[in-house]
Amino acid sequence: MTPTPWTDDTPHPLVPEETTPPPVADAAEPEGLPPAEAGLAPLPSQAEVKSEDEARQRRRLWAVLLALLLALCGVGFLFSRYVRRPEPLPEMLPVPVEVNYPPHFLFAFYDVNGPLGIALSPSEDRLYVTEGEGDRLVKIFDTEGNLLRAFAPPRTTAAERAPVYVAVDARGRVYVTDRLQHAIFVYDAEGNYLDTILGPDLTLSEYIAKHTGFKPRPGTFAYDWFEEEVHYQDPQGRRRTLPRPDRPTWAPLGVAFDAQGRLLVTDVALGAHRVLVFSPQVAAQDDWSDFQPEVWSFGEFGEAEDQLQFPNMVVVDALGRFVVSDGNNGRLSVWDAQGVWQMLVGTGGGGGGLNLPRGLALDARQRLHVVDAVGQVVRVYDFSEAQPEFLFAFGTAGTLSGQFHYPNDIAIASDGRLYITDRANDRVQVWSY
Amino acid sequence: MRKWLWLLPVFLSGALLLNLAGTAWANGGPHGGYTPTTDACAGCHRAHTAQGPNLLTATSTYELCMSCHGAAGTGADTNVADGKFVAARSPSTEGEANTADNGDLLGGGFVNYKTAAVTSIHNSDGTLMAAWGFGVARGQTANLPSSLTCASCHDPHGSPNYRILREQIAGNAVTVDQVDEGPANKDYDDEHWPDNVSNVCVACHGAYHVTRPNSAEDNSDNGSGNADYGGDISTYAHRVGMNYAYGGNADPEATGYGGYFLPLTASKNVACQTCHLPHGTSASMSTLATAPFTNDSALLRLDNRGVCEVCHQK
Repeated sequence: MTPTPWTDDTPHPLVPEETTPPPVADAAEPEGLPPAEAGLAPLPSQAEVKSEDEARQRRRLWAVLLALLLALCGVGFLFSRYVRRPEPLPEMLPVPVEVNYPPHFLFAFYDVNGPLGIALSPSEDRLYVTEGEGDRLVKIFDTEGNLLRAFAPPRTTAAERAPVYVAVDARGRVYVTDRLQHAIFVYDAEGNYLDTILGPDLTLSEYIAKHTGFKPRPGTFAYDWFEEEVHYQDPQGRRRTLPRPDRPTWAPLGVAFDAQGRLLVTDVALGAHRVLVFSPQVAAQDDWSDFQPEVWSFGEFGEAEDQLQFPNMVVVDALGRFVVSDGNNGRLSVWDAQGVWQMLVGTGGGGGGLNLPRGLALDARQRLHVVDAVGQVVRVYDFSEAQPEFLFAFGTAGTLSGQFHYPNDIAIASDGRLYITDRANDRVQVWSY
Repeated sequence: MRKWLWLLPVFLSGALLLNLAGTAWANGGPHGGYTPTTDACAGCHRAHTAQGPNLLTATSTYELCMSCHGAAGTGADTNVADGKFVAARSPSTEGEANTADNGDLLGGGFVNYKTAAVTSIHNSDGTLMAAWGFGVARGQTANLPSSLTCASCHDPHGSPNYRILREQIAGNAVTVDQVDEGPANKDYDDEHWPDNVSNVCVACHGAYHVTRPNSAEDNSDNGSGNADYGGDISTYAHRVGMNYAYGGNADPEATGYGGYFLPLTASKNVACQTCHLPHGTSASMSTLATAPFTNDSALLRLDNRGVCEVCHQK
């Protein structure tokens, strides 16, 4: 077959032949159409159609410009917010985070001396931080690090108190352990002193009530371990004293509440390192002038698998297990809901090997954050399954942003923010997922 | 009967071995007594990811020690910041640890002592310190071979010395007899000092080590001479190592004076630590006592010159 040669007169085989458009009827005077009086609207003229098209195009343009302007404003807002305080995208936009990646350093605040313990208020708008140095106060900050106020046990000087860990119950009452006072001091959300838990079965208000027959009002009594007398006001407002109570045989160190409202305390009294589990009655009571909670304990001092050496903190995971930071044994000790020892986590080397575990905090996904004081990092383990697994660690040793110098405790907010006491750097670091 | 006597040395040797086996190499805790497969090393060291010298996980020795021995007592009952023993004693262990609740530690405190702020300390945060009596007169600049830390005097891995004191400090051998406190005698607020406990101080403050009166040869100044004392140091510096009764003095430990007491060694001898607290003191000094060094309490145990009066009662 011989191909047909292409010439200028013949259409190109690959180019579609130009077609002649059909003649356009005059829109103003359509032929063969009934007049307007017949009930049909007259067709718009060409100019009107063009005008409508232009108007539509203008509207479309304005809409696009408006959308661009709004987007620009949004980007500008985010940019300005980022410039003011750099934050990762998940924090700026409430994007649910489901992947396991380490958090980012946000900022730090410094109005603290040797911070040790930290806890969030139930509404998560306040932080309670204990100081191990300086005036040894408990300080209240907002979540941006602004100091709101500070407080301390009544009648004590800085040399007579050593606040360590802090917990907040569902009502917002603040519980602070004190190593020199051998007690747990309880305050209201503003830091006003309420009472002292002197031992597993005795409070200061109960002691006074038993000896005087009346229930003392908060703020009208006090006891300093280094004094020989308890001070209180009688119902007439007169200042009175009582001989001090017998010295307690416990040394409360860590303190926390679990989801059931049980008060959890680690006790490091000589030769009796253990965990005390108080019934939810403690947190449910309006006051503690009749303090008879059910208390049980587990653990004993030693290096064996089911023993503890300076247990610093305890949390209860979603499976009901007690997880204890077994400080001087350098590991996590896991116990079942009945207090029967189950397993060790964080032993040995590698990223998951713990040096000196202290503060603990679980997030909503059952990721346990362990502050490794001497390792200078926070190590994170997945406790959502029966067999916990190491996930990752974050932080390095040093004094720069995001670096730790003997960190001690951690609190986690539901928005994914982490608050970590950085003891020897005299600051609280704020991180975020 | 006599034919069984050969068993006696065997029995005694066995008893001795059993006794030694139960003797800890240190004062307890993570400081010594390691097994061949111990996990204790990882508490402070990392073989390949260390952050500080000696494979430590951190750079500051002082803060490392304070992470357990600080005011929080998060890892130890000996709170050296406040000079307190903070373990509440439970009835079941009453016979094993004789230290009183919140008893004052023998070495004093680095931040507070006897619930008052310290007025002088052995600054052990790594600062280069003057060591008076180390060949220079008091008040001159430092000449320690290195900066002072907790580990300058204490061996964190344990030692046969009392309170895990080093056997060599500032390059000088330190011989301090071990006092076997054992679990039954362990006591942090009562002295169980060997008679040569002053040797710890002598390692740096050698020129102050005067053991006999009126002799130019009675000091052990580590060969650095006594130029700053003009030769016979015993003329210018208080003796140590003698019995408290020398010169007819009262017993500062049992009798005291005006309610104040000072500790003595096992043989009732005077040591450097009889008058000075190695860590820090909260003693206050008035006008005369501060001269010529203003606001310096010189680690003395008592206010002003109370340490003189307790023995000499002038």
